[in-house]
Amino acid sequence: MFTHTPLRLTTLALLAAGSLSYAYIAGFFGLEILAEIAILAILVIALDLVAGFGGMVSLCHGALLGVGAYAFTVAATEAGLPALPAMLLSVALSSVLAFAIGAVCARSTGIYFIMATLAFGQMAYSFVFQSPLFGGDDGLSGAPRPDLTAIGIDFTDSRAFAVYTILLVALSYLIASATLRSGLGRSLVGIHHNEKRLRALGLTVWRAKATAFAISGALAGLAGCLAAQHTQYVSPGLLSWTVSGEALVVVILGGLGTLVGPLLGAILFVVLKHEISAITPYWHAIVGLILIAVVMSRAKGVFGFIEARWEARSPKPVVKEAKADA
Amino acid sequence: MLETRNLSKSFGPIQVTRDVSLKLEKGERRVILGPNGAGKTTLFNQLVGELRPDRGSIHLDGADVTGLRVADRARRGLSRSYQKNTLFDGLTIGENLGLAAAVALGKGQGLWSDPLQSAEVRETVREVAAQVDLAPYLGARVDAVSYGIRRQLEVGIALATRPKVILMDEPTSGVGPEMSKGFHRLLKGLPRDLTILIIEHDMDLAFDVADTITVLNYGEVVFDGLPEAARGSQLLKDIYLGAWEDA
Ligand SMILES: Nc1ncnc2c1ncn2[C@@H]1O[C@H](COP(=O)(O)OP(=O)(O)OP(=O)(O)O)[C@@H](O)[C@H]1O
Ligand SMILES: [Mg+2]
Repeated sequence: MFTHTPLRLTTLALLAAGSLSYAYIAGFFGLEILAEIAILAILVIALDLVAGFGGMVSLCHGALLGVGAYAFTVAATEAGLPALPAMLLSVALSSVLAFAIGAVCARSTGIYFIMATLAFGQMAYSFVFQSPLFGGDDGLSGAPRPDLTAIGIDFTDSRAFAVYTILLVALSYLIASATLRSGLGRSLVGIHHNEKRLRALGLTVWRAKATAFAISGALAGLAGCLAAQHTQYVSPGLLSWTVSGEALVVVILGGLGTLVGPLLGAILFVVLKHEISAITPYWHAIVGLILIAVVMSRAKGVFGFIEARWEARSPKPVVKEAKADA
Repeated sequence: MLETRNLSKSFGPIQVTRDVSLKLEKGERRVILGPNGAGKTTLFNQLVGELRPDRGSIHLDGADVTGLRVADRARRGLSRSYQKNTLFDGLTIGENLGLAAAVALGKGQGLWSDPLQSAEVRETVREVAAQVDLAPYLGARVDAVSYGIRRQLEVGIALATRPKVILMDEPTSGVGPEMSKGFHRLLKGLPRDLTILIIEHDMDLAFDVADTITVLNYGEVVFDGLPEAARGSQLLKDIYLGAWEDA
């Protein structure tokens, strides 16, 4: 079951303090990277919620992000909605879509579940790619950032925008961790461990899976809105399954099923991408090697490794704890 | 409380449930005996809805539940334990019981609070832990405790839903005689209004706890009556006692 260990809380505090101080001192390029990390972080929180805790490995999260990004752009430009309602609308759309995908895929598990989500993702991708509404290969531009100039905040400024994305990472994390500590979250973990038994205990399993997927989809949609606002341009590539695959890599790299780990994964991934691609065009190969090392080490990613080390340092008296709980 | 009428099921050419008609009154404790492969587990699978019968009907508390899904029957108060442990392995014993109680209390889809912290669930976990002797192990992970403890948890999870009818599939299979005896004691301590159907190979336990006995052979009910009558039955001796003496 998901818990906030002291190590996790410390890591979160350090991440919050670190990212906000960096936002304060960083130059333009650093702030752009910070926003990129934050957007990826929201996507991987969404993915870890269902994949790490519910065992629902999804290859449609890129598409859910893309739907959010396109819906936001269309709502805010062509429909002329202000940014905030446009965001709410697109988050809701991603969420409803995710609920439907979750409900349909709920019957399948393992590789079949992955393939079913991939199929949904590719359907969304080709729809956006081919429909004349969405600019095809050229994509759409002009997605606005929220206008808070009335209260003296200007989101066209990279620093303000970076802080705004960091705050939304915090919000997403709170939503995901609250979900995991709710009845639904407890059931989700139970489903991962033993779906058959949970059904025999009286849980309507498909509904739990679909609801969890809907919450995850809402967060992916939020990441999509931010992606659209960040570059102020959306292209079908956002919906591609490679975005989902990359998110999965980040979750595994950081620590599948730890919720905190994927945040570290997002930082590591984006920083590595920028640092290594400055030296060699083969940066994917380097990230691949690191991923292989992480998977082979059998630790739960970078954060899982840290947690294991931490626990080894302070051995737990198992029996005593068992007694104390009684 | 629980009734089947002419329940029948075949796997291909093999008929594993033949016209089984059973009737359990509220609070009745019935033991099902029968040799390996007699169709005992298959009968349970049909009772809880994990397997569809070919013919016949199942009634729970007066209502026909034959068409209901597993989760719906569970919500009407039917619970089971499995012959082969079916636990939440990565979780603690307390979490296993808590999850079962939470789902049964309808908190399995809730978004606004942690059911494991709710007074109702914690109370149920405490009570069930006492019923199946798991109180000292609540904080231990399932994969860290012995097989015997896991066996007790298997039944504990089924009890944590606070069922009206509980089906136990060989609860003491694979545990030593000492633990088996302890389990008799636990069984007898369960509330008298709980309807219990147990598959059991251990004759002593069967005669010890049973109000009534059903014997299955090749999917067919060949005996249905009081334990005293079962003891004297020549038919039972012929089909079952041989196996019993071998064991
Ligand atoms: N899903 C299935 N498909 C085909 N045959 C099955 C299936 N499940 C059970 N059987 C067969 O049905 C028969 C009855 O099996 P069942 O498990 O109900 O017996 P049992 O009385 O519980 O035996 P045991 O005492 O060994 O647990 C066996 O011959 C078994 O091989
Ligand atoms: Mg059996």
